[in-house]
Amino acid sequence: METTDRAEVSLSRAEQPSGAVAINNVRSEFRSKAEANKIRKVKAAEKSYGRGRKIDVKNVKDKKLKRNLTNLEEKYQTATLKAKEAEILLENAGGFLETEHELERTYKVRQEDIVSEVNIEVAQKKFDLKLDQLGPYICDFSRNGRDLILAGRKGHVATMDWRDGKLGCELQLGETIRDVKWLHNNQYFAVAQKKYTYIYDSQGVELHCLRKHVEVSHLEFLPYHFLLATLGTNGQLKYQDTSTGQIVTEIATKLGTPVSMTQNPWNAILHVGHQNGTVTLWSPNSSEPLVKLLAHRGPVRSMAVDREGRYMVTTGQDCKMAVWDIRMFKEVNNYFTRAPASSVAISDTGLTAVGWGTRTTVWKGLFSKEKPVQEKVQSPYMTWGGEGKRVERVRWCPFDDVLGVGHSKGFSSLIIPGAGEANFDALEVNPYETKKQRQEGEVKQLLNKLAPEMIALDPNFIGNLDLRSAKQREADKDLDAGPPDLEEEMRNRARGKNSALKKYLRKQKKKNIIDEKRLKAEEMYKQMQEKNGERHKEKVAELGPTLARFARKE
Amino acid sequence: MPGRQAHGRPLMPKSGGGGRPKHRVNNKTADRKSRNNVLDAFAIAAEQVPQKKAKGVRTRDLDEPEERPQKRQRDDDDEGGEDDEDGDEEDLEDARPQKKKAKNSDDFEGFSDGGEDSDGEEWHVGVGADDEDSELDSDEAFGESDEEKFDGFAFSGSSSNKKGKKAKKGGNDSDEEEEDEEEDDDLESLGSDAIDLATALDQYESSEEEEGEEESGSEDDADSESSESEDSDDDMEDPSKLDDLQKMISGFAGGDDDEEEQSGSKPTNKLSLSDLGLLGVQDPHMKKSLKLMNEEKAAKPGQSKKLDIPLAKRQQDKLLRSAAYEKTSETLERWIDTVKHNRRADHLVFPLAQNAHDAGLDSQELLPVTKATAGTELEQTILAIMEESGLGPTNKPKKEDQDNVEEIAARKGLSAAEMQEITRQKRRERELFSREQARQKRIKKIKSKAYRRIHRKELLHDEQEMHDAMVEAGEIDSEEEREALDRRRALERVGTRHRDSKWAKLGKKAGRAVWDDNFRAGLTEAARQKEELRRRIEGRKKGEEDSEDSGSDDYSAESGDEKHSKKRLLEQLEHAASYADGEAESGLMQMKFMQRGEAQKRKENEEMIAQIRRDLDSDYDSDGVEETDIGRRQFGMGKKEITLPGQQAAQKKKEKKNITNDMSNLQVTPQQAATTQVADTSLAASVAGAWSKAPQEGRKSTKKAAKASVGELDLSNAAMLASKPKPKSKDAAAAKEKKSSSSSAPAATVDDSSSDDEETIHLPLAIRDQELIKRAFAGEDVVGDFNREKAEVEKEDDDKEIDNTLPGWGGWVGEGISNREKKRHTGRFVTKVEGVKKEKRKDFKLKGVIIKEGRVKKNDQYLATSLPYPFESQAQYERSLRIPVGPEWTTKETFQDATKPRVILKQGIIAPMSKPVL
Repeated sequence: METTDRAEVSLSRAEQPSGAVAINNVRSEFRSKAEANKIRKVKAAEKSYGRGRKIDVKNVKDKKLKRNLTNLEEKYQTATLKAKEAEILLENAGGFLETEHELERTYKVRQEDIVSEVNIEVAQKKFDLKLDQLGPYICDFSRNGRDLILAGRKGHVATMDWRDGKLGCELQLGETIRDVKWLHNNQYFAVAQKKYTYIYDSQGVELHCLRKHVEVSHLEFLPYHFLLATLGTNGQLKYQDTSTGQIVTEIATKLGTPVSMTQNPWNAILHVGHQNGTVTLWSPNSSEPLVKLLAHRGPVRSMAVDREGRYMVTTGQDCKMAVWDIRMFKEVNNYFTRAPASSVAISDTGLTAVGWGTRTTVWKGLFSKEKPVQEKVQSPYMTWGGEGKRVERVRWCPFDDVLGVGHSKGFSSLIIPGAGEANFDALEVNPYETKKQRQEGEVKQLLNKLAPEMIALDPNFIGNLDLRSAKQREADKDLDAGPPDLEEEMRNRARGKNSALKKYLRKQKKKNIIDEKRLKAEEMYKQMQEKNGERHKEKVAELGPTLARFARKE
Repeated sequence: MPGRQAHGRPLMPKSGGGGRPKHRVNNKTADRKSRNNVLDAFAIAAEQVPQKKAKGVRTRDLDEPEERPQKRQRDDDDEGGEDDEDGDEEDLEDARPQKKKAKNSDDFEGFSDGGEDSDGEEWHVGVGADDEDSELDSDEAFGESDEEKFDGFAFSGSSSNKKGKKAKKGGNDSDEEEEDEEEDDDLESLGSDAIDLATALDQYESSEEEEGEEESGSEDDADSESSESEDSDDDMEDPSKLDDLQKMISGFAGGDDDEEEQSGSKPTNKLSLSDLGLLGVQDPHMKKSLKLMNEEKAAKPGQSKKLDIPLAKRQQDKLLRSAAYEKTSETLERWIDTVKHNRRADHLVFPLAQNAHDAGLDSQELLPVTKATAGTELEQTILAIMEESGLGPTNKPKKEDQDNVEEIAARKGLSAAEMQEITRQKRRERELFSREQARQKRIKKIKSKAYRRIHRKELLHDEQEMHDAMVEAGEIDSEEEREALDRRRALERVGTRHRDSKWAKLGKKAGRAVWDDNFRAGLTEAARQKEELRRRIEGRKKGEEDSEDSGSDDYSAESGDEKHSKKRLLEQLEHAASYADGEAESGLMQMKFMQRGEAQKRKENEEMIAQIRRDLDSDYDSDGVEETDIGRRQFGMGKKEITLPGQQAAQKKKEKKNITNDMSNLQVTPQQAATTQVADTSLAASVAGAWSKAPQEGRKSTKKAAKASVGELDLSNAAMLASKPKPKSKDAAAAKEKKSSSSSAPAATVDDSSSDDEETIHLPLAIRDQELIKRAFAGEDVVGDFNREKAEVEKEDDDKEIDNTLPGWGGWVGEGISNREKKRHTGRFVTKVEGVKKEKRKDFKLKGVIIKEGRVKKNDQYLATSLPYPFESQAQYERSLRIPVGPEWTTKETFQDATKPRVILKQGIIAPMSKPVL
């Protein structure tokens, strides 16, 4: 809070050429201390939990609306304040490696140093799996970070509860594996094999062979939409609903063999990196890329998007690493890498792991949402490697300070202090979930499943006002749509006591035109009458002979 | 009946209300006059007084609104006055009032829908106006039975009336009040039953005062013949004179106010019972009717003294209805706020809290249980137990508090007097302190510039003095001292005895340190001095740097201290190395095995030093990764970083060399590329393709001349390229100048920008490859392609014109048609399709970005087709949607608040609201 205040102060002062300091937002009215405190509190809360600009209520003429809107704003404010206050409940604090004096460098700290310092429980998280037979390994953590899947290029797949070191299942598929991906929980995973994509369950039983996903090189899973997105070597991007099994969309990217793919966790947009240095953004709702941007001169080797969907880091074959602000689609910074980086991953706290050659470098502060202008980082946060293990893929373990590195000689788990989100939200993902909770969570997830049509660059568009003009709407209308269903129309358009059907018949009787519609209407009317008659009879029977006269006829 | 009475009465409260304040001025005289008026009717008054008193008490006993007793009193007084003043005409109307009276009471009771207490006092709910209320005569209220009861009962002069009056008048007539009080005292002394003349008079006077407030005008006019005699005494008995006086006063009073004039204009020839010869009659009904008659007379002065025909039933009803309506609407209005509040409330809880059995009790706070409050048996028992065990509420602690001070004093071994002295002292100090504070505050608030100016000078002066004092005391160095120190250091540098001096070098060479004590002492002295001076200078320098830092921000993150410490370390290393060199052999050292061992040790040391140096160097490069880079030292690019601007020519030469060096590096780089290959073979192929392409763009940017593309990247090609980077190198030199200004900037892995400047010279191998990489990827004109694509998209999305002209429509087609004719027929039917103009594209200002324009149709189903009703703008509507509801986004409290139902039913009987909440 103090820092923000200082920032405000520094912002509000603008130095004039004459050396005089002009204070821009001078506070003219007197405020009591309590009041000022309150204002400061509100500001801090707005900063971290605010939901956009307030509406100006003053100009609203309608009294009731004015009151309602004022109440609404109050609710917003109380919600933000409460959320800020609830921060006290976040018991765990994150933290990073810090140097004691200026000569020390955090990147000099080696894994051994960390392991010797931390307690046994944490130290156990640093481990290496030596798997040098079945070629470079790729890895993936499940959503709650409990389970790890490893896949060797030459057909070895293993899942494990990595904290306990318990092996889930182990498969020798005997064919090339290009990618693996956990689905919505640790019960299912998809493997992109030589020709088709397969889905296995936790026991390693093959559940599905997705024959439509041919020669897939990249897999992504959108957990809120239950969509498995595959990207083939032929450039076909396919979305398959894993809850219903239907293919939602097939899109041709038309840019040759793609090189990389990642998803924006904020809006479920897929980012695909291409040979010509462009990155395209896809949603299942359009056959053209929503955005196309030129990120590199050479192929885009890897991409990662931060948790809040604000920044993207791309690495290219041209030995560059670019940081993009993907709200504005502007390049924020550009870095050199010593070798083309093969894999990038961004952790929950914004640490960026870059695997290049045999090394992995972790960068801190490549981007920060708090800073108005992103600064160029001078030195990395941590480094690892240089031991002849060619890095294939880096992935952060959610809710833990662990970086998984799949390389040519197996898998290494590294301890990177401060990488994981310290306080998890068990309503969202629970790293300590029991079996029962997992099952219930699955049901909840399915109930809350979002439709693929809800995917857009701005996920908040739902419910917004359609700003097209009437003319435009008319023009956009689908002319190929069939005529409206008669029956449906007549049945459902009931205003008042007279149904649309009755009205229609009443009007038509005079005209003596007998067409299909009328025939249908009459038939329907007859049915209705019969139904009503039956109901009436029932009522009469119910009321008995004396009271029968009061049974209402409809 | 109420309608009828409304004729005369309503004027009076009006006139009273309007004229009251002005009347108070003449009050005294009016009093006197009225007293005089009374004199002749004294006999009657004497008889009536006790009853009036009784009325006063009754009004006090009844819990009625404050107005009522007064009104009653007023009516009463009216009658009294009337009785006195008009005595002649009453004979005529003797019988009528009697009848009237009977009817009167009947009507009244029949009408009243309020109630009636045992004393015959009535109140009404339906009738709202005050005028109707005024009907309720105290005489009436004071029934016959009461009369018997209170007969001969004397009160202390209708004190309740007076009190009310006092409250109203405020301080206007304090003397009068005093008078009244005196009278009260008198009365008390005389006994409850007795009443003396003065009291009677005064009582009359007090009631008359009231009257004076309300309707003095009419009264005054009544004595229209009286002459002016302002200084009339109490014992003035001549009625005519009195009248004169009153007339005059009325003239004064009436001239002030229109209303009074109105009321005053009506002649008052009032009836009184005494006039009728019914002096002893005390029937309230009778009195009432009499009063009515008087009023009518007052209303119609010139006409005969008949009563009006009562209004028609319908009209009466109408009046009643309107009055009733007013009353009901008034009661209903009290509910409006409550109803509004409930309508607007987010949540309603039934049964209502106000109907709960513990409504109005504060459940927030627990009151301590005392004997007084312990109501239930349980509580009393608990209290008893607690008292027994010494936990109960007692008064002891207070006493302890009192004794506290003394105890403390006793403990400290001080007498009470001393203690007091101490406290006094403290108090004084505190007082002084607070005063000082207040003074400071006041000074702070002074806005005068002149004051500030003067005091600033003073302040500066003070500071200077302080500084001087400190200098004198030797707490800080003076300028001279500093300069002297600097000079000393300079001299030290100039003089012989420092490390790099001739003396030292010679000594080292000769190994004098081993045998020459003098030399050794000199060495240590030099070292000590140097250290001291260095420390000194550093101490100062640090401060300077700090100030610099705050002044300008162009210092990089690794500035100041860090660099310094590094430098120091390096120096130390150097020192260590030199020391090792300078070491000479002693006797023991000259032995061979010792020498061997020594040599080994030295070697180790050297290695270590080298290692440390390397580490430090790598620190400069901000990335420890490239320590294994062999190429760097091989080509001697280690630390040539600082180049002066004057060295540009040499620079160029070097540059050339460097580029050739690059060429020799080339053998390495393809290997690297091969190692960096992705496992994917197809990818690798594509990468190789990119590498193998000729560097077109690079050349374009440097030479701006197209050149035939070269198929393969080989050494000869590179050499050819290397032969002409001259224009580039200039740029590079310039760029380097910039760089060197922030010397040894740690920009190894990280380049300042993606701009095209080539800092090939001092960069490590990997970075120097960048140029190469750029060339390698320049083959595919990625940027150009992209821009072309963007232009295409822009064009496609832009406004379009479609020519719908059909050939042959309105003209001939086929052979033989001239071109002119053809031209004439094109573009006759053009439709314009609106698109997105280039300037309005989202990506108009973004480089290297194409954002799809137009909507995504599938998303449209989630859009609202029109603005929902109560909202006035899109912003309002969309804002109302954004409020967080789910438990994932809000705290539990917020979530529960947001999802709470509007009506909450709890167990219990739901009773209607008993009273308005607000």
